[in-house]
Amino acid sequence: MDNKKKTSGIVHFIQTDHRYAYLGGSVLAIICLKLAASQPSVSSFLGAETPFVLLLKACASVFLLVSALALIVKLTHWKTYSHTWIKNPGLVKATRFYSWFLAIVFFILAVDRLLIKLIDTVRECIALTSNPTEFFRSMIYMTYNGRGMMVYGIWTTVRLALLGTAIAFFLGILMVFLRIQQPTRRDNDFIKFIKTIAHNFAALYIFIIRGTPMMVQALIFYYAGFNIFTHYTSMSVSQINEVWSFFISGLITISLNSTAYLAEVLRGGIQAIDAGQAEAARSLGMTEWQTMVKVIFPQAIKNSIPAIGNEFIINIKDSSVLSVIGVMDLMFATKSVSGIYFRSLEIYCVAALIYLVLTYLSSLLLKYLSGKLGMSNSRGITSSN
Amino acid sequence: MEPILKLEKLEKSFGDLHVLKGIDLEVYKGEVVCVIGASGSGKSTMLRCINLLEEADSGHIWFDGQDLMDLSTNLNALRQKIGMVFQTFNLFNNKNVLDNCTMAPITVKHIPKAQAETTAIHHLQTVGLSDFIHADSRLLSGGQKQRVAIARALCMEPEIMLFDEPTSALDPEIVGEVLDVMKNLAKEGMTMVVVTHEMAFAKEVSDRVVFMDQGVILEQGSPAEVFGNPREARTREFLSRYLEDKGEV
Repeated sequence: MDNKKKTSGIVHFIQTDHRYAYLGGSVLAIICLKLAASQPSVSSFLGAETPFVLLLKACASVFLLVSALALIVKLTHWKTYSHTWIKNPGLVKATRFYSWFLAIVFFILAVDRLLIKLIDTVRECIALTSNPTEFFRSMIYMTYNGRGMMVYGIWTTVRLALLGTAIAFFLGILMVFLRIQQPTRRDNDFIKFIKTIAHNFAALYIFIIRGTPMMVQALIFYYAGFNIFTHYTSMSVSQINEVWSFFISGLITISLNSTAYLAEVLRGGIQAIDAGQAEAARSLGMTEWQTMVKVIFPQAIKNSIPAIGNEFIINIKDSSVLSVIGVMDLMFATKSVSGIYFRSLEIYCVAALIYLVLTYLSSLLLKYLSGKLGMSNSRGITSSN
Repeated sequence: MEPILKLEKLEKSFGDLHVLKGIDLEVYKGEVVCVIGASGSGKSTMLRCINLLEEADSGHIWFDGQDLMDLSTNLNALRQKIGMVFQTFNLFNNKNVLDNCTMAPITVKHIPKAQAETTAIHHLQTVGLSDFIHADSRLLSGGQKQRVAIARALCMEPEIMLFDEPTSALDPEIVGEVLDVMKNLAKEGMTMVVVTHEMAFAKEVSDRVVFMDQGVILEQGSPAEVFGNPREARTREFLSRYLEDKGEV
């Protein structure tokens, strides 16, 4: 990698690029004028038409005028534009500083007219005693009043995805180990039999799990477990629900489901490893098992980390189908809140937003982690001297 | 004297392709045997059949008094004594140089870690890599990788070393550093079977040269015999082509 730190696009743009100063500045100026004209909220520090606001408006207007002037010069002196007075270095520098100043104006206005307004709206909605009709206000009202359920739902969703993926990771390693068994000429009949059984079991398991919807799997696992308890124990329904809870059966569903997918991910990881790695290990006298554990699996797992992270993100989203058996995840909480306040679209939009934030944060975290992992192993020759 | 390795009527097919058509070969202790021949003549397949990376269809491979083709033979025990060096090095990507060398002695022979490391460092020194003991094996040059691979094989203290075109994947400029290591190994009396296209090396180092063509050993003898006065027309043809191409021999 190149050590020289190249100025990134945005820094270069801010420091040296002048091409879009008029254009970008004008857009900013128009937004500033719009914001200044909008109705201030209760805790606004600028007020509606105070002298300071008028000053800010004037600044934006002047910039627009200058830009318009530049545009006229450009249009009239299309070919010789770079030699006109408007390209005077001093003037160019001044407009750039002006566009900077405009950015500050925009920031002040945005804080007052957008952020403060948002905070005021939220405070207003929280204080309300009935669900407002306006879409955005209703979103805030329902989210605030259903916050206990929503937070618990988020916590359950995160737990399901995290635990489910972690359990599935270990089961997936086991499953792929069964999957890759191939009887060879040198195995005795018993080993051949075991290997064939193992291989076919794993293949069938993956085939069935990947070929059926997780929602159906969840229902089957839940009722199967429930029936086993009613048949073989004398527990009451509430007692069974305590042991065989919705969460437990949901977690089992998501774990067993992900196992099949992760087994395939790991199988891909194993197949991607050069056959020479295994040959080298075998030529040194290592057994099949030692080769797998010491050489193949560590590399295959490392190569599969991005895909495993992806499975985690998928699980955050797909755990929503577990609400069908009554797992109190984010989806279930959202449904409940919508049932309480008789409004659906608003709270489902909130749920979508929360899922989006969860998956985005996870992908950032995974990027950071896999970056760290990749770094520590591929950088720097360390000499023993 | 009993040969340390003896191949008898070794046959191998890949589907319809008959690669080895009855190979008979004897290798004696301390001998350096170079196997030459055109690409596709079965040289590498023969070598890979010796330690059963490929399973031959029929024939016998006698090593240490046991037939490796016998299904009841403990392959892993015998493979420990047969070192193998690959064309593509095949260093373990997940291990550094030292761990590449100590992994097999520790896991297979259950040698204590400290002792395995001492041995490994010794062998890495002999191949001239004492400065790279803790280096990431993926970042070495081809020549360095191949020397690590040789050291790794030596750490198992093999009775015989098989080299499968060890310099074919290397830049012409760094072929020499690997060949030098192999020459030293030969001088120390290691039994070696080397599949190679380096005719100068074969001529200089080997005790016996084996020429293979289309799945059979066409002729074998001392380097002077095979290079100086080949009996078979096919051998002469092959060698003259090398003479033209490489300006060697």
